[in-house]
Amino acid sequence: MSTLLVEICLGTSCHLMGSQDIIDAIESLPPDKRGKIDLRGVTCLKTCRKGPNARINGVVLSEMTPERTLAVIEDNLP
Amino acid sequence: MHVSEVTKIRRKVLAEVSRLALEGTLEENIAGILSTVVSEDGPRYRCCVHKERAVLKDRINMALSQPIGTPLAEAAGKALGGERADLPAVNLLPEACDRCPIDKFLVTDACRNCLAHNCIASCPKKAIMVVQNRAYIDKTICIECGMCKRSCSYGAIIEISRPCERACDLKAIVAGSDRRAVIDYEKCVQCGACKVACPFGAISERSEIVQLIQRIKDGQRVYALLAPAFIGQFGPKVKPEQIIGAIGRLGFHSVKEVALGADAVALAEAGEFTRAVPAEQPFLTTSCCPAFVAMVEKHLPDAGDRVSTTVSPMIAAAKAVKEEDPSAAIVFVGPCVAKKAEARRYPDLVDFVLTFEELAAMFVGAGINVAETEAGDHLTAASRDGIGFARAGGVTQAVLDTVAHLAPGAALKPQRADGLADCLAVLTKMQQGALDANFLEGMACQGGCVGGPGTMADQRLTAKLVELYAGQAPVATAPDNTAARPEIDLHRRKK
Ligand code: SF4
Ligand code: SF4
Ligand code: FES
Repeated sequence: MSTLLVEICLGTSCHLMGSQDIIDAIESLPPDKRGKIDLRGVTCLKTCRKGPNARINGVVLSEMTPERTLAVIEDNLP
Repeated sequence: MHVSEVTKIRRKVLAEVSRLALEGTLEENIAGILSTVVSEDGPRYRCCVHKERAVLKDRINMALSQPIGTPLAEAAGKALGGERADLPAVNLLPEACDRCPIDKFLVTDACRNCLAHNCIASCPKKAIMVVQNRAYIDKTICIECGMCKRSCSYGAIIEISRPCERACDLKAIVAGSDRRAVIDYEKCVQCGACKVACPFGAISERSEIVQLIQRIKDGQRVYALLAPAFIGQFGPKVKPEQIIGAIGRLGFHSVKEVALGADAVALAEAGEFTRAVPAEQPFLTTSCCPAFVAMVEKHLPDAGDRVSTTVSPMIAAAKAVKEEDPSAAIVFVGPCVAKKAEARRYPDLVDFVLTFEELAAMFVGAGINVAETEAGDHLTAASRDGIGFARAGGVTQAVLDTVAHLAPGAALKPQRADGLADCLAVLTKMQQGALDANFLEGMACQGGCVGGPGTMADQRLTAKLVELYAGQAPVATAPDNTAARPEIDLHRRKK
């Protein structure tokens, strides 16, 4: 089964801006969706001043919120 | 732990202030923060960019520990010169307060326009009448006594309060004449619960990061005293040693554990318990939470002599450092806002108090990413019990274990309270002799310090990580810890 690679930045700058909330939101997706996501933490995405940052399918997205992240995931799920 | 948009703004201000202070350009560039944090086209939480910036000015003054309304360049100059205004730890930002328009008592759809009309009969001011088949409260007459709510057999009248008022268990927040919130400092114990509750971020603690950065730049030996709740604050994957390494990169001379002070406190407090209870007093309470101690002083002064005379772990740890290095500058780093008020009683021992949030903002300002920092020294000179002070129940465990060691026959019957409402209620009962207990652990924050207002991680997760970390400590209890220093004077200074 193919999965969607979702990387969330856990660096200090992004952590301060709430990246943990994004992780929590993804972790609590229903199993059918959560199962299609390859969720990983990364330590920096080199755009620290625009955090929290995520990389979904290789594309870096800045100033993310849990809602926006879930919406992007929804659009890209295999 | 949800990071709201106002929390982000507060954190951005702190990080920018740190960045500029570290760069040495704070005075020239302070006004620039107004546009870096709130851009013309960015998301808006207030009516207009002007209002947003007016609020930011209040926040910047708070971040510099200067009175609200100080022109920004002047505020920056003073902070750089080491000045800190004589402000309480917790302050209201007048521009930010939304003056939440709340009618305290509200008649809901559940009103049946019953025949009894208990509400009308109960109202001492005759403020209630029937309008369109339903009770109606005339707000211009209502004195918010709540008689109507209690009288309605259908529960149709509800009471609503502002988030800040509801958060304050000690009823220290009231609406001023202009409907702005006002903190009554006769009642306030600076716990910070209201800061967490206000959705507009209108309550904030003062911050002394600039003064601290200057002290580090001056080359003084600055020690960080790290409170045990630090585990996990920078993300669950970040190792404690990385946090210590990152603090070193900021220019701190050394990092010490507050948990070591906690061991000294456990020894002193257990000694006090075995001496005084029940011979001199029926019970003893802890004294490590400054908001709890202030609550007793302000709200139950009769119970004042039940409170342990032992200092808090912060002060015990600071004393130990000062003995070894009298010219050290000492910074407590922890989850606590009330410690900012406590430190003012000990200006000779504690120079600054930082929350974990402020420390993180300093890291960001300095471009330090803890997740990519090499591990520093390993800590845990403290016992398992000392580290356990971070969560509710920890102090009780430490004192129990120590009493068992010092006086194996003594019967300690513990009682715990967390959250100020609980603390007040339980202590009142113990004063009346209505509880079968002779030791009270009082923590102002729910869950203990892991639930403090200066934290950045979910308290249940932190409690678990603290537990794991404590499990790796070389010794279990305070009496086993040869590094604890019971011989220094650990008596608390009263108000
Ligand atoms: S006692 Fe705590 S919640 Fe109440 S006003 Fe003071 S800081 Fe806020
Ligand atoms: S419980 Fe801990 S964090 Fe909260 S006010 Fe007391 S000492 Fe501070
Ligand atoms: S810390 Fe997240 S991008 Fe650098």
